[in-house]
Amino acid sequence: MAKKIGVYVCECGTNIAEKVDIDKVIATVSPLKNVEFVERHKLLCSEGGKEFLKQSIEEHGLTHVVIAACSPKQHEITFMNVCEQAGINPQLSQLANIREQCAWVTPNADEATDKAIRQIRAAISRVTYNIPLEIKEVECNPDVLVIGGGIAGIKASQVLAGPDRKVYLVEKTASLGGKVKGFSKLFTNMESGLSLMEQEIRCLLGNENVEVLTESEVEQILGFLGNFEVNVAKKAENKELNLDVGAVILATGFELFDPKKLPQYGYGKLDDVYTSLEFEEMNIPEGPTSGKILLKNGKPPESVAIIHCVGREEKHYCSKVCCLYSLKFDRMLKSQLPAVKVSHLYSDLCIPGKSFQKFYEETKELGVEFVRSVKTEVTGNGKGMTIKYESEPSSKGDLVADMVILIPAMESSSDTQKFAEMLNIPQDGRGFLAVEHQLLSPVASAVEGVFVIGCAQGPQNISESIVQSEAAAGKILSSLIPGRKLELEVRTSEISETFCTGCKTCIDVCPYGAITFDDSRRISVVNEVLCHGCGNCAAACPSGAAKLRHFTFLQIYQELKEVVR
Amino acid sequence: MNNEEQNTPVLVIGAGIGGIEASLLLANSGRKVYLVEKTSYIGGNVIKFEEVFPNMDCATCMIAPKQQELLANENIELLRLSEVEAVQGSIGDFTVKVRKKAGYVDLENCIGCSACFEPCPVEVDNEFEERLSKRKAIYIPCPGALPNVPVIDTENCLRFKGQDCQACQEACMFEAIDYTQQDEELELKVGAIVVATGFKSFDLGKSTQYGYNKFNDVYSAMEIERICASNGPTEGQILVKSGEPPKSVAIIHCVGREEKGYCSSVCCMASLKLSHFLKKKLPEVKITQFYSDLCIPGKAYQKFYEEVKESGVYFIRATVTEISQSGKELSIKYKAEDGKENTLNAEMVILNPALEPAADSSKLAEMLNIPQSKDGFFSEKEPDLTSVATAQDGIFIAGCAQGPKDIAETVVEAEATAGRILSLSR
Repeated sequence: MAKKIGVYVCECGTNIAEKVDIDKVIATVSPLKNVEFVERHKLLCSEGGKEFLKQSIEEHGLTHVVIAACSPKQHEITFMNVCEQAGINPQLSQLANIREQCAWVTPNADEATDKAIRQIRAAISRVTYNIPLEIKEVECNPDVLVIGGGIAGIKASQVLAGPDRKVYLVEKTASLGGKVKGFSKLFTNMESGLSLMEQEIRCLLGNENVEVLTESEVEQILGFLGNFEVNVAKKAENKELNLDVGAVILATGFELFDPKKLPQYGYGKLDDVYTSLEFEEMNIPEGPTSGKILLKNGKPPESVAIIHCVGREEKHYCSKVCCLYSLKFDRMLKSQLPAVKVSHLYSDLCIPGKSFQKFYEETKELGVEFVRSVKTEVTGNGKGMTIKYESEPSSKGDLVADMVILIPAMESSSDTQKFAEMLNIPQDGRGFLAVEHQLLSPVASAVEGVFVIGCAQGPQNISESIVQSEAAAGKILSSLIPGRKLELEVRTSEISETFCTGCKTCIDVCPYGAITFDDSRRISVVNEVLCHGCGNCAAACPSGAAKLRHFTFLQIYQELKEVVR
Repeated sequence: MNNEEQNTPVLVIGAGIGGIEASLLLANSGRKVYLVEKTSYIGGNVIKFEEVFPNMDCATCMIAPKQQELLANENIELLRLSEVEAVQGSIGDFTVKVRKKAGYVDLENCIGCSACFEPCPVEVDNEFEERLSKRKAIYIPCPGALPNVPVIDTENCLRFKGQDCQACQEACMFEAIDYTQQDEELELKVGAIVVATGFKSFDLGKSTQYGYNKFNDVYSAMEIERICASNGPTEGQILVKSGEPPKSVAIIHCVGREEKGYCSSVCCMASLKLSHFLKKKLPEVKITQFYSDLCIPGKAYQKFYEEVKESGVYFIRATVTEISQSGKELSIKYKAEDGKENTLNAEMVILNPALEPAADSSKLAEMLNIPQSKDGFFSEKEPDLTSVATAQDGIFIAGCAQGPKDIAETVVEAEATAGRILSLSR
């Protein structure tokens, strides 16, 4: 079929017309190959302009459209919609930006006109190489897999599960409740972590749309947004289970930095040096001391030193919640042993937000000492322990205590690596799972349909973990709707089976995990559902096998040759 | 679950980063969203920042795609220049009265070419630019603001003061300026409400010891943000009032913390960011930070602190007791934790104030019947569990309306409000 290109030049009031000599533009581009006509209009994006455009396309039976106007950011979608209404595939239109890139960036009218002509010529040259692309849709499964039965995983399951959406909650231990279950008191309300978790678990188990799988491990996850296939091993029953879900939430929690790595704190060598989690355990009625704070010799301590930031220097981050929970420890100590002397060895107090300073001030009033220290050392002194401290700029000192509580940095849990590899989610260099964008997409991972919440993505307190679980639920409830199909990006990448040499370069540069390797055919394969059309693979492919639809080598070449001619 | 809240429209109050994110998630699920914004632009405080910590992303570039998506979303009705006046009813069935002020520029006809600004004979301080530059009576707050459609400020416009001026209308090629537009009273029926009204800075005039408003070169952090901004009053040039770039800068943390009784959580990082930015623009500048406790919570921030420290920024743990003018420089008197007093001179002082809830929060709290903390932040129903639910079913809060937050925390909360609202409807 003969190609018939209509070229429309928008004056944009005087915005373009004032700088760009439109008569000259028309005279120059009218004779070009395949150009049916060139028309000018005062304001193409106006209602009248759009109507004119639609009628003109229909009247002339155009096959391709070039519009010379403003930035594609402004009105590309506007004009693509008009083309569609006029019966032309929107990909067969091309916008030349002669406002932001020509009229607005030079005081010189001749230069603006020359550049406008080049841009329009480029668009005319390219548009006949554009290929009509059709929007594709895929079915999706609204069900969700939540990995990790701590507070974040439980809350996410509660918010998500409903009559039209099933949630599978997989927990590797025998019981739900995570770390929080083992905390006798929570800041700032000083209520029991166990009773909170019992209540949340009751509420969860009462929801018939949640299936809890304890003593189970996720062995494999294949697929993509809306269509994941999950393999779960139920360890206790020695059974394998296959689940189909549309989204995955990772809520795998944290572990503590091992203080044995830092011998200066005497952990593991001195009797009464404890980690914060060991101290928590001492405080629960079901614990080894039936809830009593006792030294190894069975006596209650008379003096306690709480050492902050153990491992912070090694990890290079502040674990955010430690200052607050060590203040909670003060209250637990003082309520059980009113005469106990408590000293904090700390560098900076991190109590961000509207409500924590009050908690700090009230705790301080109980008679707790705060000593600045950037270098702390614990040694046995026969009777108890001596804690040497140093603070900036040069003050040094020591104090004695018969119990030391270390507040270690929080680390990612041991499963993190496994899930990062299984789902192809990047880690952040500190061992935690990375999110898609630290600020604007703080719970989604770079792999669509996979979310990371709670301490799996970094140190968080309980409230922050819960809010993240609600946020992941928000993202899923907003995008994965029962009965609604997913509309795919049309400008995606494709890899030629013939040209692919199987070097896997594209797999490394894809930020969305959209490319996998087909072992049987020894080639890379793009998953169109996951591809965002960023073009990384096309740029990196050494053999020219990866191509981005609508931005192929030929299309870009046809455009560029006219720009530089 | 609650069956009264079935696919009803949602009201979102505040079009900052939190309000934008909540609106997008709700609208993409198919809900109708009314987004009420007091000013003429979307993006809130975030668009005032040239770059944001910790990755020094360009803030306006970062949120531009979200802004575009919001403006193009057919389920979202943006009501700018609008304020909520009354709220009645309960979850699933709220009736909200909104007053939408006339902007006098037609959204359909205006193409945002700004031809109307120049002929306007009025010049007043630009609030968006922290009063560091002037704007006209018909204006957009800064280049790049969205929607890119100006408004007429009737308090200063000569025509609205009774004079015979139509300079802007004459300059407009698209007949977009309409002096006959009227304020509108809208009545909206919604099932749920998200409050994302953001923050304002502590009034530095209250801390007289720092000499703000008294000495030329004592600035608020927000003023410096605008001075650093390439679309700001100095187009990103950092100059003291004498017109020279400063050779030495002191940044004072926690201004107003004692008065407010809380840590504003983002100021340490904001101060580090400004240091980073100043060092990049003026490599020779000597920067000293006065702080009490460094609060850089979470996995991502310490690295940034270490980099800033390595670039040659000094940190002094001390309370600044007084700032005075000493010739060309400012003299900063401070007291360290051990009681020792000392003085340091600098050519520029930047005060980093506490964050407070946005103006009119109390009025809104009363209308919505939700409690506030004594500082005026909206109170969450379950303080140690989730920060987004309020004592009123169906009313949720996100971002700095609830307490000081950084961008990521605000976005998480906005997504969480959407999660809670969307889970109600079954």
